[in-house]
Amino acid sequence: MKDSHDSEVSRREFIGGTGAAIVAANTIPVKAQDRSGESNERAIEDVPLTRITLTVNGTEHRVAVEDRWTLTELLRDHLGLTGTRIGCNRGECGACTVLLDGEPAYSCSTLAVWAHGRSVQTVEGLEKSGRVSKLQQAFIDHNAPQCGFCTSGQLMSATALLQRNANPTVREIREALAGNLCRCSNYNAIVEAVQAATRTGGA
Amino acid sequence: MAIDPLKTVGQNTPRIDAYERVTGQATYTRDIKLPGMLYARVLRSNVPHAMIRRIDTSKAEALPGVRAVMTHETHKIPYGSGSISGGRQYSDAHKDITTRLRYTFNDHVRYVGEPVAAVAAVNRHVAEEALQLIEIDYEELPFVLDVEEAIEPGAPEIWSGGNIAHDSENRQQPIGGRTGDLEAGFAEADQIFEDRFTTQFVQDAQMEPRSALAHWEGDKLILHTPTQGVSNCRHDTARDLGLEDHQVQVICQYMGGGFGDKNGNYYFDLIAAAFARDLGVPVMVELSRKDDWLATHGRWHTVQDYRVGVKDDGTVTAIQLNGLSGMGPYLRRSGNVAGMDVYACENTEKSILPVHTNRVVSGNFRAPTYPQGYFGIESMMDEVAYKLGIDPVQFALKNMVRPTETKQFTNFTLDQCIEQGAELFDWANRWKPEPGSGEGPIKRGAGMAFMMFNARLGASSAILRVNAEGRYTVYVGVTDIGPGAKTTMSMLAAEELGVPLSDVDIVWGDSDRCPYSVGESGSRCTMMTGYAVVEAARDLKRQIAENGMPQGDSVLIASATPAPTTNGKLREGFGAHFVEVEVDTHLGDVRVTKYVTVHESGRILNPLPALDQIRGAVIQGIGQALTEDLRYDSRNGQPLTSGYYWGRHLTHLDVPQIENVFIETDDGLGPYGAKTVGESGIIIAPVAVANAVYNAIGHRMRDLPITRDKILEVVA
Repeated sequence: MKDSHDSEVSRREFIGGTGAAIVAANTIPVKAQDRSGESNERAIEDVPLTRITLTVNGTEHRVAVEDRWTLTELLRDHLGLTGTRIGCNRGECGACTVLLDGEPAYSCSTLAVWAHGRSVQTVEGLEKSGRVSKLQQAFIDHNAPQCGFCTSGQLMSATALLQRNANPTVREIREALAGNLCRCSNYNAIVEAVQAATRTGGA
Repeated sequence: MAIDPLKTVGQNTPRIDAYERVTGQATYTRDIKLPGMLYARVLRSNVPHAMIRRIDTSKAEALPGVRAVMTHETHKIPYGSGSISGGRQYSDAHKDITTRLRYTFNDHVRYVGEPVAAVAAVNRHVAEEALQLIEIDYEELPFVLDVEEAIEPGAPEIWSGGNIAHDSENRQQPIGGRTGDLEAGFAEADQIFEDRFTTQFVQDAQMEPRSALAHWEGDKLILHTPTQGVSNCRHDTARDLGLEDHQVQVICQYMGGGFGDKNGNYYFDLIAAAFARDLGVPVMVELSRKDDWLATHGRWHTVQDYRVGVKDDGTVTAIQLNGLSGMGPYLRRSGNVAGMDVYACENTEKSILPVHTNRVVSGNFRAPTYPQGYFGIESMMDEVAYKLGIDPVQFALKNMVRPTETKQFTNFTLDQCIEQGAELFDWANRWKPEPGSGEGPIKRGAGMAFMMFNARLGASSAILRVNAEGRYTVYVGVTDIGPGAKTTMSMLAAEELGVPLSDVDIVWGDSDRCPYSVGESGSRCTMMTGYAVVEAARDLKRQIAENGMPQGDSVLIASATPAPTTNGKLREGFGAHFVEVEVDTHLGDVRVTKYVTVHESGRILNPLPALDQIRGAVIQGIGQALTEDLRYDSRNGQPLTSGYYWGRHLTHLDVPQIENVFIETDDGLGPYGAKTVGESGIIIAPVAVANAVYNAIGHRMRDLPITRDKILEVVA
């Protein structure tokens, strides 16, 4: 059996290689037949698995992940958190943005094994005690989602911005969200929504 | 003209599903998981033109986890009902006579990206790996990328009989026709100007990469797919698979954007359906971003040659357009080029040939025939105005279409849009009578353009129900692609029924549960399906008045399929755009520094999303003007600039704040006088930007996009 797939290989193999070195010291490889951490796939391949521990939206998860899985795949396909979207799967659009230890990261370009020992926040983690965040409410009030597909990523980048700077300028908002494409091109409304969620409400 | 205020309609209303959209709970096609489902991937041609001599799938089939492989040898499924005729794929008559059949997989491959095989496997990694194990022996053929070369004698034949696309009767006829007396118009002219304008392919590039999830219940197909029209998608899919409409249920609850070419089915819907039928389990086909960018459809590129006759006083007396539209190898949509009818000049001739090349397939993108056509004609007219020494605003007011005895409008505000826009923008001070006259390396200039877009009426359906609880349920076949159609439909029902919006529920995006809708394309959804909601609400009110509110388990149900007309009058949305740009003549950069739009779209039903329809469309248009492109390597026919990065779609950092004003009117037609909104904003954005660039640097940019290299070439 061929051990790689060329179409997706360039990025995955590259980051996979780098990732393995980083995580080797603190993660535990799992034998291929021990796939108890897997949720919904049958074992059909001799794919290396690594057992990791990560915190997602405040809940600790111990999971065995295939080394080739991206963090997006882990979240969407194995932890049931489909609010994180895949727009390009190659780090161009930002729809998959999550917070990794509070910093925005493209989860499509982050291997799941790299999340070992780290804290991940997704769009599902923004709502607290049944209440949407001030930023989410501003997104609702200012029509920031059109089709809504980029919205999760825009929200996560903006959440990180507001955490480090409660009163950003329009320029700072645009720069913080520059990695989040919106093909509906609803950029004006998104910036207005973020402004409304700043300490001074954009005044 | 003041309009009568209404209670719900006209109020800024956050979309009713905004919560789902900001919490990640909105379920897009790829978010759906069904027990036992398989994942499928599509292998694509890596050559622009070839015959497949041999295709060997044995190694792929032997890969553990692979469940099935599909090629042209195993599955001969027509796509587009066996028709490739633009805009006519719903025509049974054409299906029977077409000589240019397109299948889901073709052994004659005609562009890089064309599907050649598909694999269904237990997960997407296995499916991707299996694609690499499929061996294809191509007999490569000469290819052609350029529309003019494609129609020269001896050009590689993408179809036997030549590369001019067939019309619905298999004729190779140009689109267009004549009005008035063209020769007399040119004879009357004091001066005649000729020029060529060209526009690029622009990919729709909606954020959600396409997917389709199919499963069968007996002989019935259930298809989850991101479509702009569940009704049309169902009909297309049924016909392609040889089924009756009732055997197909199309469901689309949320979709990540649709900008035109999704009001129908796609080949991947058919692949999902065929795999699911063969294997007896649900199958999800997923396209990668690159697949989506290269192997769905985008705006056709054009070559437009204009000839314009004009009197010394600035009156246009004749307009002639000969054009070519690059459709890629399959005709998906018309290839027409719009714009001439926004001028009053009655002596016109238009002749557009849709041409096949070995580029990606073209299709509809937001106002499909307009931005490229308006770029051509209004660049041409801008040039004429400067040549005659006339302010473009005055030239526009002098030559734009106006109501006449024989050309009546339901209402007309184009002059108002232009005048109000010029004032808001401060045209008199921002526009330079002498183009390129700014001091220093960064040159500032202003440009304008004006448009109209058909706000046609037509048939669509809605069902409305009330139960004893006093809950009103609207059933409409909309999929809410982004403009907020679910909210608009609910608001219309609430308004007409005189109940709070919170009393109204909606059932949408499901061809089994909802009646026919035209779908969300052509900016028709609000006017047609929205009007059906109003009519159904009127009927329900009448029933309630006659019978009282339902009691116990009973319900009252009303439905409507109105087909209103304008009694021969034109019904148009109008608009004018005014743009200021700064051009860095050292670096070649163009920056939009001010953008003012005035639109008349009838009554604005929900101002919040309506504004963002205009602003978003304008920004897409700026992208078409300045950056977006699909470039090919002419030596080998390989596309070079697919995807978000190379396709250069605009980001937060690239866009100006758009200032929009709606002139609200009510012509008594459509739902409370609402007209077209969604496509209006993009139509003149490219040309308004281009005209501003001319004013800034004094060089006419005739080829989109206006990139650095083109600026530097002329200013150096």
